[in-house]
Amino acid sequence: MPPASITPLPDVGLTLVFGLLELLEDRGGREDGYKIARDLNFKFGDLLKVMKAAEILGFVSTPAGDVVLEPLGQQFLAANVNDRKLMLREQLRNHGLFSYFIRLLHGQEDKALTREVALEHLAMLLPSEKPERQFLTMVNWGRYGELFGYNKDEDRFYLDNE
Amino acid sequence: MAFLELKHISKSFALSKGTLQVLNDISFDVGEGEFVAIVGPSGCGKSTLLRIINGIVPMTSGQVLYRGRQVDGINLECALVFQSFALLPWLSVKANVELGLEAQGLPLAEREKRASVYIDKVGLDGFEEAYPRELSGGMKQRVGLARALVVEPKVLMMDEPFSALDALTAITLREELLDIWQSPDMPVKNIILVTHIIEEAIELADRIIVMATGPGRVVKDIKVELPRPRDRRTEAFNTLTDQVFSLIEERG
Repeated sequence: MPPASITPLPDVGLTLVFGLLELLEDRGGREDGYKIARDLNFKFGDLLKVMKAAEILGFVSTPAGDVVLEPLGQQFLAANVNDRKLMLREQLRNHGLFSYFIRLLHGQEDKALTREVALEHLAMLLPSEKPERQFLTMVNWGRYGELFGYNKDEDRFYLDNE
Repeated sequence: MAFLELKHISKSFALSKGTLQVLNDISFDVGEGEFVAIVGPSGCGKSTLLRIINGIVPMTSGQVLYRGRQVDGINLECALVFQSFALLPWLSVKANVELGLEAQGLPLAEREKRASVYIDKVGLDGFEEAYPRELSGGMKQRVGLARALVVEPKVLMMDEPFSALDALTAITLREELLDIWQSPDMPVKNIILVTHIIEEAIELADRIIVMATGPGRVVKDIKVELPRPRDRRTEAFNTLTDQVFSLIEERG
């Protein structure tokens, strides 16, 4: 995996992404981004991060400032908690940053890294991003998809369920 | 017999000069399986009322009957969820959820098993060893929810549970709350939600108790007969919103 294809993660929680999908479903599957931001009292920049996150996961597309619920997003909404986790896991595996760390962790004897080492990799892969934010977002998305775990007490960033 | 009966509840606090009456003669019933929202302006005593029903705060006069019987002290079949999440920052997600069971004196193995069931049900699988500080507001409130559910209460009492969250996170959690309430394998039968967000009450509840302030009292008991899932953009939804809003406005 060449580092060039690795894009940063917008630092938003997935709960916001799911909320955006619910809202789109309620509004017939398509809505103007500015209108959503106005209706919800969001700064447009904040909503943009949520839209971007939803797009990275393949749940929406964002043509010309609109947000459109994609079939995968619809499937996600219709699924139960555990199927949602499976779907998310599949989407994350295909993201450059996640697949990079999956391979990296697989290569470790105990399938784990310290936070410090993970931050070094992040700083190298995404030099213009804050590595701590990327790490936190990656860990939390990874936890939701049960792909990664992080134990602060033992300082272990590891592959979950592998 | 109603599931929960509130009879002539009043509450006052003694001040250095005289007394402050917070609640005056509150009476209503909650039927089994009902989702009731209590709305009203700040200062109408709705949060105090919730704590009186649960037994944390003693009432000055009146009675709360749970399945026809008076409960002395805290009703262990009612679990509370707070606006502030009220998590212990030095404990992991799993330990925070297990905390709900500590008072019940269950053996460790049983506590762990129960905690993992409810962590799973609220979508926190994978977050067991995370600390509250590592979590977003939405995830923190899921921990609050799991901690309440783990004691397998019949009544879930929620005090402004989504008011500290951004609008998109709140949409997700409301949806998940309805799933939990409607799920047949959940012990929770009733939900009593205190909120100042009128649309939230109408979207979720079977019934809305509208309270006014000075002192806190019930001004209206409204049955919400809109079909579920409820669409906020319908005429009927808006009419009801306006109705509740004007009730609060004119007295507030």
